[in-house]
Formats: sequence, C-alpha cells, structure tokens
Amino acid sequence: MKNFNDFKTRLKIARSKLKTGNSENFDKKGKFLGNAFKLGTELVAAVVVGTIIGFILDGWFDTKPLLIITFFFLGCVAGILNVIKTAKKMQR
Amino acid sequence: MATNPMHQFNVYRIGPEIKIVGTDISFTNASLFMMISAFMIILILSLGTKEKKLIPGKIQLISEMLYDFITKMISDTAGKKAKPYFPFIFSLFIFILFCNMLGMLPYSFTVTSHIIVTLTFALFIFIGVTVIGFAIHGFKYLKIFVPSGVPILLLPIISIIEIISYLSRPVSLSVRLFANMMAGHTMLKVFGGFVISLGLIGGWLPLSFSVALTGLEILVAFLQAYVFAILTCIYLNDALNLHH
Repeated sequence: MKNFNDFKTRLKIARSKLKTGNSENFDKKGKFLGNAFKLGTELVAAVVVGTIIGFILDGWFDTKPLLIITFFFLGCVAGILNVIKTAKKMQR
Repeated sequence: MATNPMHQFNVYRIGPEIKIVGTDISFTNASLFMMISAFMIILILSLGTKEKKLIPGKIQLISEMLYDFITKMISDTAGKKAKPYFPFIFSLFIFILFCNMLGMLPYSFTVTSHIIVTLTFALFIFIGVTVIGFAIHGFKYLKIFVPSGVPILLLPIISIIEIISYLSRPVSLSVRLFANMMAGHTMLKVFGGFVISLGLIGGWLPLSFSVALTGLEILVAFLQAYVFAILTCIYLNDALNLHH
C-alpha cells in the first residue's frame, strides 16, 4: 500500500514537471528562434524589393542612378518599419 | 561526388525527357520527393483517421495533435473568420514539414532548399491573400497602404514605403525557408567532409558538431514550416480584418 502511494506522488511530480518544465520551455525557445529568423529576413527583403523597384523604374524613366538610390533608402525605411511592426506584434 | 557540399542540391531527370511546347516537364528527383512526401502525408492521415478510438493509438494521436495545433494557430492569429482557410493552411504546413523532414534523411533530396519551390508557395499565398482582400473589401483594401493619422504631406512617401513593405512579403517568406534549409544542409555536408578528410585522429570534433547540427536542423525544419504557416495566417488576418 505504501509503495502504491509512493508511486502516485512520484507520478504527480513527474506530471507537474512535464506541464511546467520541458514542453513549455521548448515552445518558448522555438518561438524565439522563429522570431529571430523572421526579423532578419524581413529587414533584408524590403531593401531588396525596394532596390529592384528602383532599378525597374530607372529603366522606364531613363533616370539612371537617381531612382535606384531613392528606392534603396525607401526600402531600408520599409525594412525597419517591418521589423518594428513585427516586434510590436510579438510583444502582444 | 561526396566532397562537393553543393552536389546534394542537383536536380536530375528520372526516366524519359518530356517536353510540352518547349517546356521541360520531365520527372525529376524533386518531383519524386514531393510525391513521396504527399503519399506519406496521405498514408499517415488516413491511417490516423481510420479507427476513431476514444483512446487514440500513436498514429491517431499524431494526426489529432497536428489538427489541434493548426486549429489553435489559426484561431490565435487570424481569428474566427479564417476558419474556411483551414484546409489550405493545414496542407501547406504539413507538406512543408514533410518535405523538410524527408530532407533530413541521408541520401534524400530537400525540395524546400530550392528557391523556385518556396517562391512558388510564397507567390501563391501572396496573390491569394491579395485577391481575398479585394474580394472582401473591394477598393477599400487599398487602405492597407494608407495608415491612419498620417499628415497629408507625408502621405505619398508613407504609402510608397507601405507598398514596398507589402511587396517584400513573398520575398522574405520564400528566402527565409530556402536559405535556412540550404544553409543547414550545406553546413552538415561540409562538416561531414571534414570528418573524412581529418580521419581517425582529428575527425571526432567535426563529427560531434555534425551530430549537434543534425539535432538543430530537425528543430529548424519544424520551425520553418511553423513560421511559414503562421505568417500565412498573419497575412490572411491583415486581408480579412482591415485595421487601418
């Protein structure tokens, strides 16, 4: 009978550990890693897209270096804006 | 062959060459692995849902957990309105997950390590979400480019920036998945090459790195599928519920 009780308490402890410890920890760590990947690419992608738009528009309007420079900086701004937006979403 | 770390990404033809109107649509190893993952998904899910036990077996548990996971993710990020899109997001997540995980097996091919595959997914999502947005809100959907509370003078610049950030979505979505998968698999192969070239004496360090990296890569394979699916939900949420 005593053995049985012992097993019960051990099971309880193990279960509570399972709930609060490992699984949640993994969940959190995984989310952080995912968020880190997200932020990095978000910043770069906007810069790339901005530069490509500038390049195409330069070809259309024949204003060779002007628009690509402008849109590069606009792309940087858009990238930073993206990161800020994602960070705000994360904090919620 | 074994020494080139990029060799694993080669796409080659299996069987005869098929050409339709000048386009090569032959069956390749990429198509083979896509089909294998599709068949595995069908097999596992149909086995899991065949017997509807009250106390689920292993396979039934896996399929129920997957279902639960995606349902929760959609309701958390995109709300109740996104419920009709559950089948699409579920298939997207599970297909990417299986492609990534199949790539972790030795001698297999990682479909998602090619940007053309991930870009196709991302563009499909991007165009689909845009169409959904216009279908639900009409031309009011263009308000997404005009944040509220911005002075008139700044409006042209802000909307250009917003358009760039909107257009960057498919790029970031596809590059993230592709770069992570390709970098990870290249790294694994490079460390594997070190083990061979350093031999019995010095090969233990890269071997231990290789083991650790394999664990990390399995985590990344799951995470990237998760991130892809959750970002699809977030974009869908933006299209369904206009906040601006």
